[in-house]
Amino acid sequence: MTSVNTVELNQIRKCYDEFVAVDDLSLAIRPGEVYGLLGPNGAGKTSTLRMMIGITFPDSGSVSMFGEPLRRAHVQRLGYLPEERGLYKKMKVLDQLVFLGELKGLSAHDATQRSLQWCERLGLKDWTGKKVEELSKGMQQKAQFIGAVVHDPQFVVMDEPFSGLDPSSAVVLKDAFLDLKNAGKTLLFSTHRMDTAERLCDSICLINHGRAVLEGDLAKIRAGYGKRNVQIKYEGDAKFLNDTKLVQSFNDYGNFVEVRLAAGADAQDLLRAASAGARINKFELMEPSLEEIFIEAVGKANA
Amino acid sequence: MLNTSLRNTWLVIKREYLERVRQRSFIVLTLLLPAIMIGAFAIPAKLSSMKSSKIQRLVVVTSTAQFGELVRQQILDSGNTESADNKDKNKDKEDKDLDEDKPSRGYAIEVDANASEAERNALRSRVAAGDIDGFLWLSDDAVAARKVNYYGREASGFMEKSWLSGQLDRAILLQELGQKGVSGTQADELLKPVKLETMRIQGGKETKANDKGMFFAVFAMVMLLYTAVIFYGVSVMRAVLEEKNSRVMEVLLSSATSTELMAGKLIGVGAVGLTQIGIWIVMAAVYALPALAANASTGEIHISPLTLAAFALFFLLGYLLFSSIYAAIGAVITSEQEGQQLQFIIVLPLIISVFMMGPVMRAPDAPVSVWSSMVPFFSPVLMYLRIAVQPPPLWQIALSLALLVGTIAAILLLCARIYRIGILMYGKRATLPEIVKWLKYAKG
Repeated sequence: MTSVNTVELNQIRKCYDEFVAVDDLSLAIRPGEVYGLLGPNGAGKTSTLRMMIGITFPDSGSVSMFGEPLRRAHVQRLGYLPEERGLYKKMKVLDQLVFLGELKGLSAHDATQRSLQWCERLGLKDWTGKKVEELSKGMQQKAQFIGAVVHDPQFVVMDEPFSGLDPSSAVVLKDAFLDLKNAGKTLLFSTHRMDTAERLCDSICLINHGRAVLEGDLAKIRAGYGKRNVQIKYEGDAKFLNDTKLVQSFNDYGNFVEVRLAAGADAQDLLRAASAGARINKFELMEPSLEEIFIEAVGKANA
Repeated sequence: MLNTSLRNTWLVIKREYLERVRQRSFIVLTLLLPAIMIGAFAIPAKLSSMKSSKIQRLVVVTSTAQFGELVRQQILDSGNTESADNKDKNKDKEDKDLDEDKPSRGYAIEVDANASEAERNALRSRVAAGDIDGFLWLSDDAVAARKVNYYGREASGFMEKSWLSGQLDRAILLQELGQKGVSGTQADELLKPVKLETMRIQGGKETKANDKGMFFAVFAMVMLLYTAVIFYGVSVMRAVLEEKNSRVMEVLLSSATSTELMAGKLIGVGAVGLTQIGIWIVMAAVYALPALAANASTGEIHISPLTLAAFALFFLLGYLLFSSIYAAIGAVITSEQEGQQLQFIIVLPLIISVFMMGPVMRAPDAPVSVWSSMVPFFSPVLMYLRIAVQPPPLWQIALSLALLVGTIAAILLLCARIYRIGILMYGKRATLPEIVKWLKYAKG
């Protein structure tokens, strides 16, 4: 792997009138990785993606791609999947894909061949002659995905690719996604679903109110947060849960309780405290979920 | 880079064009409109020709059989068959007007030299019985008073009445001239109407003036331009709007520039309109070819090749100009209703052009004509009008064309910028200061 980052955002800022959509955001995407841009709705994910693919320009800060300042020529080498409604409704699926492929520089013949191959692979083969509006939402999303990758781009940018998909379509798309990753492509996608990101991403950037809350390698971020959660199955006295020196908060799920350790507390102390009054059937240290990390990080940022 | 740009524009043109032309609504409209037009013209014509197959049976009542015969001949000669005058290819306007009033039906005329009150009553009952359609009462008194009565079951149409009274005038004059000893041929000579032929002196050369043809050519152009702009300009606006409301443009903008997209849209959608108009013109030409060929041989409608070329050129550019304004409107607005409020921007220059036509036609070289025909929003109509009336100096044509092309390009670029930025402000109508801000902001 080369050391040149596929994309680097350097302290970019974007305002729409009074509203600050993206503020002082920096991130780096390494070649060949799956990068997740995470955050709640309205956090500035789409605004960030648009600046990355040259649809809008930052008010300040810089965007570089493949190691150079962003140019139009770079944009030709990427694929973009917008958040729904990105296809002509009245146009036939194949015509549409060929059109998009040709705009990216493919010959009509190549564009047709590749579109057909992709349609076959994603199960759209029988739909190539249908108008886009006749397709279900899942199929439209697949067609949209093909439109983004038909020219075999080095870098694929996807805005909420999994939103509104039924589980089986999501699986097909996820597999295609991983195939691209295995073929050495760089993938960037935005999502507000932390669990999706958790399963797919190598690196992430968490944004909230246009600012990066966390950025970097997902495994490292997690490690940084340490194993601060404990899942406990017990029978007996539950008063150990109220020990604020050990327990910051807990969630009782009925079968088990998930405990968040207080700052500086040792899990072994908790085990001892718990076993003093109750019978412990299970005691497991857990990595925090991305969601928890996000909530905590946002909490810190707002504090 | 230029190559990519042209390629992208071409791809967008191709898509816009093919997608629209393939639509069922396009095909239906293309075929349906001529069908409706033909229906609207042919069915009434057919109906009236059906009526004309029924021969009008008239009785001409006069005091003498000789005068009755004269009236009969006069009506039959110009009513049932082509008159000698009508066969004359150089017929003048007056004749033509008479022709236009000529009834399409045939006549069967019976002469009755018994102008008595009893006969009048007898004829009345024949009319009532449906034996005859009507009778003309041309007693000596009536002729002397120049007050002739027509009795009929159905009152004749206005056109036919004026035609008939013309024929009677002529018959009475011929009769009276005959009584004063003027022979039939002499009388014909005397009654020959005056023909006024206008000549145009142009570049020292005298040509037969062709006001009718010229007016027709200019009028056709204005109507065609107006119709095309109103019909198809809106579809340019709609095409831009459609893309704004979807995110297709985000995908496209990651492949092509907004200028390429706008130019492609404008030309593609524009070409659809031209195709449709072209098909209609061909259809109309085929339908009207026999009539046109007949007319062309008379030299009645004569349009010079220069005028035809100017027609094509100024029509195309005018169409592009107004369509580009529509595109700009499409880029600013968020819904079609808003677009309708802004349509006056387009209609106003066209209406002003039409108002200017009179003055420019009267004085094509007056300063006001010269300068108004340079203004891009008027030049498609006015410069073309001047070329048709009296070709202006070449530099004026060239300047007018250059300004027109420049304006189209400027609007297109402006519009591409507005589109580029405006498109990303979902669901919000741009205010003027905002547009100015976008224009300053947009870097391409």
